[in-house]
Amino acid sequence: MMFSAVVRLSASGIRSLARAGPSYTAPLASRCYSHAKAETDEEFDARWVTYFSKPDIDAWELKKGMNTLIGYDLVPEPKILDSALRACRRLNDLASAIRILEAVKDKSGPHKEIYPYLIQELKPTLQELGISTPEELGIDQI
Amino acid sequence: MDTSRRLGQTINSVYSPLSVKVVSVMTMSLPKPVMRGLLSKRLRFHLPIAFTLSVVAAAVFKYTVTEPRKQAYADFYKQYDAMKEFNAMKEAGIFESVRPSGE
Repeated sequence: MMFSAVVRLSASGIRSLARAGPSYTAPLASRCYSHAKAETDEEFDARWVTYFSKPDIDAWELKKGMNTLIGYDLVPEPKILDSALRACRRLNDLASAIRILEAVKDKSGPHKEIYPYLIQELKPTLQELGISTPEELGIDQI
Repeated sequence: MDTSRRLGQTINSVYSPLSVKVVSVMTMSLPKPVMRGLLSKRLRFHLPIAFTLSVVAAAVFKYTVTEPRKQAYADFYKQYDAMKEFNAMKEAGIFESVRPSGE
């Protein structure tokens, strides 16, 4: 009984931090929401892909978008990162492109299987846009 | 290609403690891992433990430190004779307002 209270507390606390973040599949999720329809993971991803796909996106919007995205309790999907990297290309910002890769590696935390998967999925994009990974540049080691 | 070799090295260094198939990892693609809700999953596990351990730590401190201390004070003052102690101090000559009975 007490455990579920703590879980509900922690779930709602995290959700209030995530604001428009992705929906949960946990059974307790439905109790914490208002009457508004919960955004699905696909809708969330699509929204962010669209955000970074803006043709005339500016540097501030790129940084703001990335910082907001990194604040969520998730590692961004490859398609969101692809869109963000292409935005970096439009802005001629190679530094931010590489920083995005460093950021998602850090977001994975102890889950070391996420970053290699992301690099695998992004390999075509990285090659097309000519973006080196931090590992290739040797800047991933302290 | 150097990038492929480096990528292979990265993947191998991640996977080699876990899998025997080190060389063939380059040819098979990695499955999609869970990428959402990692923090909430961690908190769901650790917060109840942290909460419980804090309560236990407080309880242990209460019953091994504060309660024995309170009991020690209670036991001391149960048979405390204030007048006897006062007279002992008076005879020791520490007061200015009342001198030992000899003076």
